[in-house]
Amino acid sequence: MDLYLAALLQGLCFSGMAVGIYLSMKIFNIPDITTDGSYALGGVITGVLLIHAFPLYVTALIVLIAGAIAGAFTAFIHTKIRINALLAGILVMTALYSVNLTIAGRSNLPLIGTSSVFDLIRLTNEPTINSLIVIVIISAVVIITVGRSLKTDFGLAMRATGNSETMIRALGVNTDRMKIIGLAIANALTALSGFLITQQQGFADVNMGIGIVIIGLGSVIIGETLINWLRVTSIMLSLVLILAGAIIFQIVLAVTLDLGVNPNLLKAVTAILVLLIVGIPRLAFDRHDQV
Amino acid sequence: MKRYQYLPFILLLFAVISCHQKPKNGAPVVGFVDAFEDATIAQAKTGFEDALAKNGYSQQKGNIEIEYQNAQGSIPTLTQIVNKFVSEPVDLLATSTTLASVTASQKTKTIPIFMMVSPTPERAHLVDANGKAPANLFGTVEDLNYIDTSFLLIPKLLPKKNEQLVVGMIYNQSEPQSADAMQRIKELAGKLNISLIALPLNSSADAQLVTRSLLGKNIDAFFANPDNTVFSAFETILKACEERHVPIFTSEAGLVQRGAVAAFGADIYQWGYQSGLQAAQYLRTHKVFGLKPEMVKVRKRVYNAAVAKKYNINVPAGFEAVK
Repeated sequence: MDLYLAALLQGLCFSGMAVGIYLSMKIFNIPDITTDGSYALGGVITGVLLIHAFPLYVTALIVLIAGAIAGAFTAFIHTKIRINALLAGILVMTALYSVNLTIAGRSNLPLIGTSSVFDLIRLTNEPTINSLIVIVIISAVVIITVGRSLKTDFGLAMRATGNSETMIRALGVNTDRMKIIGLAIANALTALSGFLITQQQGFADVNMGIGIVIIGLGSVIIGETLINWLRVTSIMLSLVLILAGAIIFQIVLAVTLDLGVNPNLLKAVTAILVLLIVGIPRLAFDRHDQV
Repeated sequence: MKRYQYLPFILLLFAVISCHQKPKNGAPVVGFVDAFEDATIAQAKTGFEDALAKNGYSQQKGNIEIEYQNAQGSIPTLTQIVNKFVSEPVDLLATSTTLASVTASQKTKTIPIFMMVSPTPERAHLVDANGKAPANLFGTVEDLNYIDTSFLLIPKLLPKKNEQLVVGMIYNQSEPQSADAMQRIKELAGKLNISLIALPLNSSADAQLVTRSLLGKNIDAFFANPDNTVFSAFETILKACEERHVPIFTSEAGLVQRGAVAAFGADIYQWGYQSGLQAAQYLRTHKVFGLKPEMVKVRKRVYNAAVAKKYNINVPAGFEAVK
């Protein structure tokens, strides 16, 4: 059970990133590869600041701002310089590797004796349960904040930018600014995941961002499968299901490890399990629709 | 509403899976964590297992179970693997490479961790403000002193052509040991009147370009330093150097088997073996009294006879030929 609690914990830590990718991919239709870079940026800044005994809230604020700047850069390159969105993300992600390395000064920063968000609340003596409570609260705050934001006039304008850019522009909305702000928010949330994961795993590493966008995309696609399957239209509930996708993705990995699969087949089995999760509801749809 | 009918079954299935526990047959369990795939570093695992077998613990006899997991370079997977072993819990953890050792050290304070192919706790920054390493860290570690000796092989063995020797090397500035080693070698080269050209490399994908860039600067020898990226890309480096008739010297004995001329440094197999001996002692006594991180004991001067002949290098006595 401890393994699955740990997987649940890790999935919840990734929820910020999943929501961020949901914003960029689904709401803005922008495939944002900046994720790899901004996630590691969040992690590295967290490592450096906590090691230098900065307060947690200051660290979190700086992490969010740094992530936002990274995302804004990508959006700026895409909207103002007219570079393809995919390439813009790749360029920023590539540049962030050097930025992260410079900030960290070395590749790996173990956190020894540093403060942690997971120690803020002491409701129980069981560290895992205690961490779980903290992360559930943080995830809830993130989802409620983003969910409520997307329902405001500003949020509706952002969503419309992704749906029909020409129409919303005709209505007087500055779509370029919408994209810049949207990707800033998305990458701020991604950096927040870096902040949480660094404390959860006990170290920051400049290579921790490599491939992380795959986990984010996997989470969003699983979440979308749930959204379509349960026919959800509420934005708040959609975000909750994206969160569920992040959790499911990590639990699939935990299941794979628990099965005692040959290490060489680890990724293949994980891929197959995710395929089953995404594919079965679709088959159920087909069967249902034919009735 | 038919779709909601599936939910109870899914939740039930999940509950069943998560409650599943393997029945223990009483044999102690070793959790072996590898951070990524590599032909040279894999020798440490072989050494570790052989040490256990030599002390009577083998899976064939049924008196031990070794669960091996490889994160394949993914940190989230590495974290999950360590979580799994800590959750079971295994009787001891064996960790190969720095990242695996750091991850395990940050996840558990009670399960003994036997490190290999890892730096000292100080160099990995795993010590606290009082300079104290975690109490459950054991195994075999290495510092950087041996690199001086391995680098000195070059002026000693290489026939002199020009007034000043030019040595090229690749380092990974995002790897602490690699950057530290490069800095140390740079200082040493300065004292020896050797010109050192060092180029950065972050992933094996760029190895071809970086190596050929180095070779374009007319280097006399290539030094392969202790770096995972160099290990991964070694065949690429080797092929390019052979074309330009540039011999490779290294501090890792495992690379000599793969085509370097000569090396002085830790034998990766022996590194794992030494950690395995400690693990065997712990399994016998279940006490950590007397155990602490040890420096690598077995370092070797090795050379590759075929390669040495190819480059007309006369190898003095005291060097051991690899097969």
